Amino acid sequence: MSQVTHASEDVGRDGSRREAALYVRRTLRAGQRIAHDGDVVVLGDVHAGAEIRAAGDVLVFGQLRGVVHAGADGGDGAMVCAWRLQPLQLRIGHVIARPPDAYEDVPDAPEIARVEHGQVVIERAARPEDGRMARG
Amino acid sequence: MGEVIVITSGKGGVGKTTTTANLGVALAQLGLKTCLVDADIGLRNLDVVLGLENRIVYDLVDVVEGFCRLRQALIRDKRLEGLSLLPAAQTKDKTSVTPEQMRGVTEELRAEFDYVLVDSPAGIEQGFKNAIAGADHALIVATPEVASVRDADRIIGLLEAAEIPPARLIVNRLRPGMVRKGDMMSVDDIVDILAIDLIGVVPEDEQIVVTTNRGEPAALSQGSRAGEAYRAVARRIRGEEVPFAEFGEPAGLFGRLRRMFGQA
Ligand SMILES: Nc1ncnc2c1ncn2[C@@H]1O[C@H](COP(=O)(O)OP(=O)(O)OP(=O)(O)O)[C@@H](O)[C@H]1O
Ligand SMILES: [Mg+2]
Repeated sequence: MSQVTHASEDVGRDGSRREAALYVRRTLRAGQRIAHDGDVVVLGDVHAGAEIRAAGDVLVFGQLRGVVHAGADGGDGAMVCAWRLQPLQLRIGHVIARPPDAYEDVPDAPEIARVEHGQVVIERAARPEDGRMARG
Repeated sequence: MGEVIVITSGKGGVGKTTTTANLGVALAQLGLKTCLVDADIGLRNLDVVLGLENRIVYDLVDVVEGFCRLRQALIRDKRLEGLSLLPAAQTKDKTSVTPEQMRGVTEELRAEFDYVLVDSPAGIEQGFKNAIAGADHALIVATPEVASVRDADRIIGLLEAAEIPPARLIVNRLRPGMVRKGDMMSVDDIVDILAIDLIGVVPEDEQIVVTTNRGEPAALSQGSRAGEAYRAVARRIRGEEVPFAEFGEPAGLFGRLRRMFGQA
């Protein structure tokens, strides 16, 4: 994306303007809720019982166990990325996904969730063999 | 100047009052002047657990309303030098005290005691806000159940917002047999979820029920596992490094303890 943006604004992948990304520099605990008209970046964990609602993407540099709604204004193009993606419930745009009941098979690696053909799909964000982020 | 510690949980019935009473006993046994404050106004029972019910003349609400001086409302435990109780009122409700008044009371107490332990009511409303008002630190009591751990997490968030330094965790009513069978969350699971420091693990122990009914906290006498666990918490509050005993079946206990202590 090579567009110029204002300091307080961001441009979504679909070209729409929104507020600049919100950085949350702490862990979100049960009962705490963040709503933002843009992307949300959490430098910490998101515990079960916490909630994030973002118009854009949600990136969690930690464990994600709460409820996240990315693309909350209807953007099915939004994504959710976490170092450990194990949310109670995931909503992206219009799609709601509940993970399987057991989490035993959650890989010890960052993952990205996005919508493809009306379904939430999850894939590894990084391939250990080349050590960099996979392209979307 | 003494330290004010609130004992809280969010969820009801997980062992706040039991913990307050036993920690008070254990701290006093270490020779520390300790005052227990029952902040559960309207549902007082710290006095009953301590067996001091029949000695109450004045209570916390009388103090803040100016009916008596703080000193007059304090009950000294005759069994144990250094342990005192400031009882809650039974006939009033939680709105009869404000956080500001509560802070005033704990400030006055800390001038005279080494430790002031405040027994918080369940919930996150006014009673909770009163209980944490004057606290320097918090101890969170949680049982190995999802609802209890979730409420504890909520409370930790509220304590952070109130700028009370990181709370420490007491896991209560642990049943090692059930943990081994995978029917109960382990201490590690709980610590992993809550991401706070652990200060105590208290096993499920019928002695708690027996001693509570007699009004003699388990920590008063030797020989109960829960009482022993509370004594360990008291020493950790003092800053001592006390290894965590693992509560296993008697047969395997020794080997497991050695592993815990890193001597095997
Ligand atoms: N380790 C334990 N083993 C067995 N029973 C226990 C243990 N801890 C607490 N109990 C029992 O659980 C019950 C509730 O304990 P307690 O009154 O201390 O909880 P609480 O958190 O203060 O409750 P409330 O929220 O109503 O104030 C009591 O009957 C007590 O005897
Ligand atoms: Mg109680």
